[in-house]
Amino acid sequence: MKAAAARLRPDFWTGVTILVLAVLALLLIVPILRVLSLSFVDADTGAFTVGNYVEVFTRNYYLKGLKNTLFVGLMGTLGACLLGVPLAFFTARFHIRGRALISTLAILVLVAPPFIGAYAWIMMLGSNGFITNFFASLGISTPTIYGAHGIILVFTLKFFPFVFLMTQTALNSVNKSFEDAAENLGCTPWQRFFKVTMPLVFPAISTGAIICFVLSIADFGTPAILGRGFRTLSTIAYASYRSELGGLPTMAVTVSIIMMAISMIALVIQRRILARRRYASSLTNLPVKAKLGGARNLLMHVFCHGVVLLAMFPNLVVVYTSFLKTKGPVFVGGYGLESYGRILHDAPEAIRNSFLFSLAAVVLISAFSALISYVIVRRETAASGAIDFLMMMPYLVPGVVMAIGFVTTFRSGSFDLMSTAALLIMIYFIRRLPYGVRSTTSNLRQVKPSMEEAAINLGAPPLVAFLKVTVPLILPGLIVGSLMSFITAINELSSTLIIYDSGTITMPVKIYLAVLDGEFGLAAALSTVLLLCTGICVYTVFRFAENRDSAFL
Amino acid sequence: MASVEITGLRKLYGTVVALSDITLTIPSGSFYTLLGPSGCGKTTLLRTIAGFHMQNSGQIRVDGNPIEALPAYRRNVGMVFQDYAIFPHLSVRDNVAFGLKQRKVASAQITKRVADVLEVVQLGAYADRMPHELSGGQQQRVGLARAIVIEPKVLLMDEPLSNLDARLRVDLRAELRRIQNELGITTIYVTHDQEEALAMSDTVCVMYGGVIQQAASPLDIYLRPENRFVATFVGANNFLGVAQDGDRLTLKTGADLTGAIKGERPATITCAIRPEALRVATGPVADHQIRVPATLREVSFIGREMEVFGTTQAGEDLKCIARPDPAVIELQPGSPIEFLADRADLLFFEDSVTGARLT
Repeated sequence: MKAAAARLRPDFWTGVTILVLAVLALLLIVPILRVLSLSFVDADTGAFTVGNYVEVFTRNYYLKGLKNTLFVGLMGTLGACLLGVPLAFFTARFHIRGRALISTLAILVLVAPPFIGAYAWIMMLGSNGFITNFFASLGISTPTIYGAHGIILVFTLKFFPFVFLMTQTALNSVNKSFEDAAENLGCTPWQRFFKVTMPLVFPAISTGAIICFVLSIADFGTPAILGRGFRTLSTIAYASYRSELGGLPTMAVTVSIIMMAISMIALVIQRRILARRRYASSLTNLPVKAKLGGARNLLMHVFCHGVVLLAMFPNLVVVYTSFLKTKGPVFVGGYGLESYGRILHDAPEAIRNSFLFSLAAVVLISAFSALISYVIVRRETAASGAIDFLMMMPYLVPGVVMAIGFVTTFRSGSFDLMSTAALLIMIYFIRRLPYGVRSTTSNLRQVKPSMEEAAINLGAPPLVAFLKVTVPLILPGLIVGSLMSFITAINELSSTLIIYDSGTITMPVKIYLAVLDGEFGLAAALSTVLLLCTGICVYTVFRFAENRDSAFL
Repeated sequence: MASVEITGLRKLYGTVVALSDITLTIPSGSFYTLLGPSGCGKTTLLRTIAGFHMQNSGQIRVDGNPIEALPAYRRNVGMVFQDYAIFPHLSVRDNVAFGLKQRKVASAQITKRVADVLEVVQLGAYADRMPHELSGGQQQRVGLARAIVIEPKVLLMDEPLSNLDARLRVDLRAELRRIQNELGITTIYVTHDQEEALAMSDTVCVMYGGVIQQAASPLDIYLRPENRFVATFVGANNFLGVAQDGDRLTLKTGADLTGAIKGERPATITCAIRPEALRVATGPVADHQIRVPATLREVSFIGREMEVFGTTQAGEDLKCIARPDPAVIELQPGSPIEFLADRADLLFFEDSVTGARLT
């Protein structure tokens, strides 16, 4: 009897739907189509060609990059699963002391700026890293952090929280009766785990894995900092874009399209696999946590705490480094606040810009999230379905690709937004909008439609009903979504790097440049500022979110 | 307060007909109930009157003024929701004041009217509570207060009691009716609970398949159902096959019914007998009665009465509700048993789901 409120009459929400579609068309569809069409253009003649693709798939430089990308992507994902799944299983099925700490650390790792890990490892294991130096003083040579294995290490430690948190949530909602039934039918604990529990949480594991893979493919900072000649598609796209400046960035966009295609293919494959595995289950019999004793218990604790501490370690190193006494780029021993003095002196505009652009983007994101979530949840039209689908796109489009799309779209003749604050705010807005929409949408799904109907019935026009009733009720979701958008916007590196100029430089770009220049003290102090903001936001999310862990996924 | 006239109202979902040419008139001040199984269109009709659904065609008039083209927020029909729909972020007072503020009523007026209506629903002491501090029954009183404080022309109620427990439902039922009577407000009430419908309404409108089956007083609905669906849905009924041989009519189990149907007769006829109209025969049968021989299936003694279940030789199930009789309760399943009923209690229908009553 609860039919959707399908109205024929155009009203306020029809206008909103049109506005949202127009904004998405301008900021999402047009740039992506621009990138796509440019990839079929001959840079010299401007004629239609498939030569760019031929070049990518025949020239060793690109093929190697493609292979490298897939290799570090897959291995990073595998590593993330190898850490994340056992961690989830241990914390969901056994008594682990400090479980809340483990979750919190995992979330901090998840939201910390991605490139910080890469350069912290250089400070530890790079050619002049303190661990390298320590072992060198003992006459032992340590393996270098540069190259594929370093990137894989960083991806593994950076992305395992996705697998961990998703699998843990799934394990916590597996009806214990299934496991009891397996045991009753004669399964040993190991058989039970592999034959019943694992298959039941496989959808969650694969969703976590696909996020890891997509993020690995798109990641620019890590291979850029740790690559040293080991190129991935994202660094190649960036380098091509730089070398093609002035002309048409045809090779950069062609590589970009291939990156996007990989992400989409991976997603489609995962959806295909999942389509046949939908398990409806009522949670009547809650899982229980077993108590282990002896050596096994100790090993399990060591593993769980070890993983999150190791993953958190780079961030701690960065904070520690920021308080080391420096003279210019050199650490001179002892502690001091010189690095912080230098960021105030050298990079005040980066700090100001980062906050300004991110806040501006987040204000827009909040407003649009509220409106879009209403259209998606309450209006069952083809347009709202399309908006829902489009909200997935920014996850799949790597930052480098989006930025090249923006540059080629918003730069024509006298209309040139290149390097302006407006362009950066727009790209942060569109790339981080899905975080806001997702959180708000899931909140709104819990609000009964009768709430708005009651307001309308009492005489409130649609907009008034929305502002007076809907918005207050979705405020928690809106706040969590805005904070998530803020964290990810202020930590954004790859697309900013393509768009910025000296007037619109941001903290992540400044950190990236400082790392390339070997200015580790400056980079550490800026990173600490970012980590601090991130930490404050995470704490606030904890206060507002109903389910702490899943708010971050 | 206001009469409601609906003419030729149609509502389609794609090709599914949700409402099919609904035409009805509700006199001013009366309590009109839409009753039917889920999916019958009763809620769709109510929500179309409220303006939450747009009809494909037809008119809705309140006091002669068409409202079917107005947006929902300008219809001035109060609505009480099944799930209460009390705004959780507003206090009881602010919930009730919401519609008045929307109408830009002066604040001194609002204070007075909110206080008055809260007295009417007996929530005077709860004005500053938040909704989560109230029980379900109290929340629904807030819902009612919020809907009537705006002095709507028509009050719509969508299964307002269905989320409450049984005892509260009966208490609140009486109170709803009392308040409705006091205010004299035209009320359209949706329910699937026939007891509720019969107890509260001036008129009960039974719906099925998007079509009005019968709209009449509770007594007429129960005693003179116009078609077989109404006879089945409102109260329980036994249906026995009728055999025709020329002008001679008999039950398939034997009893002679010749002359019981005066008008034209369709090909298949069924005879309806209410369970409480059946008795277990103990002696000879009088002329004004009929006899239905059967085999006893089960007797269940439920205190105030006993339920006797039998199967006729034609394979029809029978249910009889009667005063407990030890002799019957002690019978073994499988024993032969005879039921009897007064001829005056028999109703005849064309034998189809919505087959018309025959006279």
